[in-house]
Amino acid sequence: MVASDTEPVVRPALLRRITARIYHIYVVRRVLKSILTVYLVATGTFFLVRLLPGNPVEVYINTQMSQYGISYQDAASQAAGLFSFNPNRPLPEQYWEYLTGIAHGDLGQSLLSPGTPVLHIVLEYLPWTVFSVGLGVLISCGLGSLLGMLMAYRRGGWIDHTLSLISSLLHSIPNYLLAMLIVVFFGVQLDVLPIAAMRGAYSPGVTPEFSLDFISDAMYHASLPITVYVLTTIGGWMLVMKASTVDTLGEDFITVARARGLRDSRIASAYVGRNAVLPVFPQLAITLGFVVGGSILVEQVFQYQGIGFLLLQSVQRRDYPVLQGILLVVTIAVVAANLVSDLLYSRLDPRVRGTAGESS
Amino acid sequence: MEPILSVRDLVVEYRTAAGPVRAVRGVSFDLYPHESLALIGESGCGKTTLGLALLRLLPKLGSVPSGEVLYRRRGGEVVDLLKLDREELRRFRWSEAAMVFQGSMNSLNPLLRVRDQMRDTVRAHRRMPADELGRLVKDVLRKVQLDPERVLPAYPHELSGGMKQRVLIAMSLLLDPQILVLDEPTTALDIRTQRAIVDVLHELRAQLGFAMIFVSHDLPLAAELADRVATMYAGRIIELGGVRDLFYRPRHPYTVGLLGAVPPVVGDLPELTSIPGGPPSLLALPPGCPFQPRCGYAEADCEAAEPDLAAVAAGHTAACHHRDRVSYARKPAAGGSAPDERVASGG
Amino acid sequence: MRSKSGFAGFIVFVLLVLLAVIGPLFTPQLVTDVTAVYLPPSGAHWLGTDSEGRDILVQMINGGRPVILVGVLAGAISTLIAIVFGSLGAYLGGWVDSVIVSVTDIVLTVPQIILLAVLASLYTLDSPWLLAVILGAFAWPYLLRSVRAQVFSLKEREYVEAAQLLDLGTPHILFREILPNMASFIMMNFVVTMTNAIYALVGLYFLGLAPIVDDNWGAMLNKAWTRGAIFFSDSLFYVLAPIIAISILQLSLVTMTRSFEEILNPRLRQS
Repeated sequence: MVASDTEPVVRPALLRRITARIYHIYVVRRVLKSILTVYLVATGTFFLVRLLPGNPVEVYINTQMSQYGISYQDAASQAAGLFSFNPNRPLPEQYWEYLTGIAHGDLGQSLLSPGTPVLHIVLEYLPWTVFSVGLGVLISCGLGSLLGMLMAYRRGGWIDHTLSLISSLLHSIPNYLLAMLIVVFFGVQLDVLPIAAMRGAYSPGVTPEFSLDFISDAMYHASLPITVYVLTTIGGWMLVMKASTVDTLGEDFITVARARGLRDSRIASAYVGRNAVLPVFPQLAITLGFVVGGSILVEQVFQYQGIGFLLLQSVQRRDYPVLQGILLVVTIAVVAANLVSDLLYSRLDPRVRGTAGESS
Repeated sequence: MEPILSVRDLVVEYRTAAGPVRAVRGVSFDLYPHESLALIGESGCGKTTLGLALLRLLPKLGSVPSGEVLYRRRGGEVVDLLKLDREELRRFRWSEAAMVFQGSMNSLNPLLRVRDQMRDTVRAHRRMPADELGRLVKDVLRKVQLDPERVLPAYPHELSGGMKQRVLIAMSLLLDPQILVLDEPTTALDIRTQRAIVDVLHELRAQLGFAMIFVSHDLPLAAELADRVATMYAGRIIELGGVRDLFYRPRHPYTVGLLGAVPPVVGDLPELTSIPGGPPSLLALPPGCPFQPRCGYAEADCEAAEPDLAAVAAGHTAACHHRDRVSYARKPAAGGSAPDERVASGG
Repeated sequence: MRSKSGFAGFIVFVLLVLLAVIGPLFTPQLVTDVTAVYLPPSGAHWLGTDSEGRDILVQMINGGRPVILVGVLAGAISTLIAIVFGSLGAYLGGWVDSVIVSVTDIVLTVPQIILLAVLASLYTLDSPWLLAVILGAFAWPYLLRSVRAQVFSLKEREYVEAAQLLDLGTPHILFREILPNMASFIMMNFVVTMTNAIYALVGLYFLGLAPIVDDNWGAMLNKAWTRGAIFFSDSLFYVLAPIIAISILQLSLVTMTRSFEEILNPRLRQS
């Protein structure tokens, strides 16, 4: 009769419903999946470096012991500092230290420049790759999609045939070999491009800042890698967009749109374009991953100091902490790119935003 | 009364891997204001192609080598639709004649909300302030018994087949067209939804007075909705007349065959018949009348020359050399007395 | 059945394989001649000589086999993994499928070359088998996803239901009912995987991450790079020859892929 307590109680059933409701939102699910992936890769990296035979930590310890004659304990402590873990501790503890280290941004220190945090080194090189690859893929995707749509509208015409041929050719030649060809032909044989001056990410003496000088200088140096990325990936976009546009043009709602007397421009943009561009987004994520991978090769040819360049350098010098850090950072970057493209896709296509069902 | 649409000797050709095929081989008919005309036939007879050709919506491989489609505008001026240029055609479409496609099809852009697609439709033809447009759209949705608040913000995949069909009908009325062409309006819908759609169409015709052409294989639908019926076979109209004339006094053996195959809902179940054989391939039509291989009335002259539509009564024509002999009476099922009138598939 | 260009690609590929496999049986021994460094093409040396005076054409003929062999092996391994696990996952569903999907997502995310580079730092990748296994070990995710999607959609078809009712067992259903319908698709993915494997393989050689044991095309590129052949005008042919050969190889594979895509999506065909 008389209410003895009036405090609100969140009952377990209600909490479960709320959680389920939140989980049903596509965005939340997608972000959780990304975090999980990064976590799994970080874990994989951890075990890769530690548990495989000939793991670099042991190698380092043994080298230190044999070269400098220090004890296992001392060598292990040194390794602890460098690899951001302590090899003396039991594995679960190491794992926990590793994870918390990452959360704090501590990826260990470089073996070859002791005292320099891996994170700092990686962040010095990463922006250049992000800049060149990002710009390259965006230009390639935008231009390629427009061309692909044009090819679909003018199917069978000379534009279609020529562009198909060119795109096949460009798609075949590996991007680093194209890079070499550019250097050989335009740089050496024809002497059109000042290859030596175009090396590196920016000219010596130019300070990184947000000035026009710096940006134009950065563009100057990035132009060759970007050209290579664009030329070797544009064919893929053209093909995807052409196929998708052809499919969309055959759909009933396009005939209905024409029947409704809509203007061609409106049909091309909101009816054909929007539907045809959908497959581009998943492809974007894949291509980004591929080009970032390829950066290890292309940046070598152009001596462009991006993350790929750093990666090769670290491999050659067996700088394992840096390698570990690069692997993690690159993964995070690729996962983030995947996330963004998936979220954009869901913005465009309302059919995806439904309840948690079967993921495609 | 002057017809609102006059089709004269319309021919529609498709380019196929096996050569050009004529899906419509010389069709002529008139459509009068406010009337409802049904185009009935089996799959492949050319009825859908005919419907598309009227609005020049044929796919790329289709073309109209000859014929006229004369349309009378509200002011009285007559134009040949086949001669309109692109922009004139665009403006003609939907504002003068609209087409309602099958609701089960992917007829709406899956990425746009219904209200955006409605808005697109209106904006393509008229300048209208936003509030007036809103009122028009809501009004037209209510006319098809849909709740605007529920339907307008929705995406197509959130609507049922019946709701989509009604949205399409509503969309077709936005610009108050004189003619509505419907392609299989009730196919692939369940019985109750079919009923709802037919009721809606009755109402709309009474309210708004547009002329209607609908294409179907569904005879009972024609009996309900049509004022006049045309049956099509192998790309031509082979019988054309008022709905009662056609259903009670058919004069083409094919029409008789179609009627004989449909069971009546009331009364005793008669013997159901089917027409032996199948429709001919348009690439290899039989000589003379295309129906003669399957026809119980066929004689030598049927193979010699293809019959044209000729009068059998006022406002009723049939394309058969022996139309005066054709009659239709249903035989009761085994156990009843058999009348001695001939039925097409018998002999 | 295949388009004209796809067929041409196939012929070129077969020719290259024949050349790579049989050619080395007929080539003379390479002779090092320090006086004949970077000679231009001549009657004696059709493509000229390299930095040690050795004939380039001979190296080209010899150099194809390691690359193509490893490429084919890697393609086969990854196709096998993708087919087996993709179909199993889709067919069995449940937790098996979830595990397979999760692993696939992870492997798909990390760029293949980067993983390979890290592995190269940990191990010496000298044997072609090891190389093929490693290359094949990371190339399957994309194909597995596609196989899984295809099996899912085919699973619902009637003839599979019929086979299930007849209680024919999982392997039978998979291998006799579902997979034959995906033949074109699998072929296409095999070719695509080969393309990627060759890309990665030559790249590893070029960067010096895979030890050079013979004069394969990738090794030639590595030497061209490290010995500065790129920057001399005389050494043009030494650089161009492997690039052109690899590009032709990839082009033949890409055109075959395109024709497979046309088979699978008939709307792409030029009418």
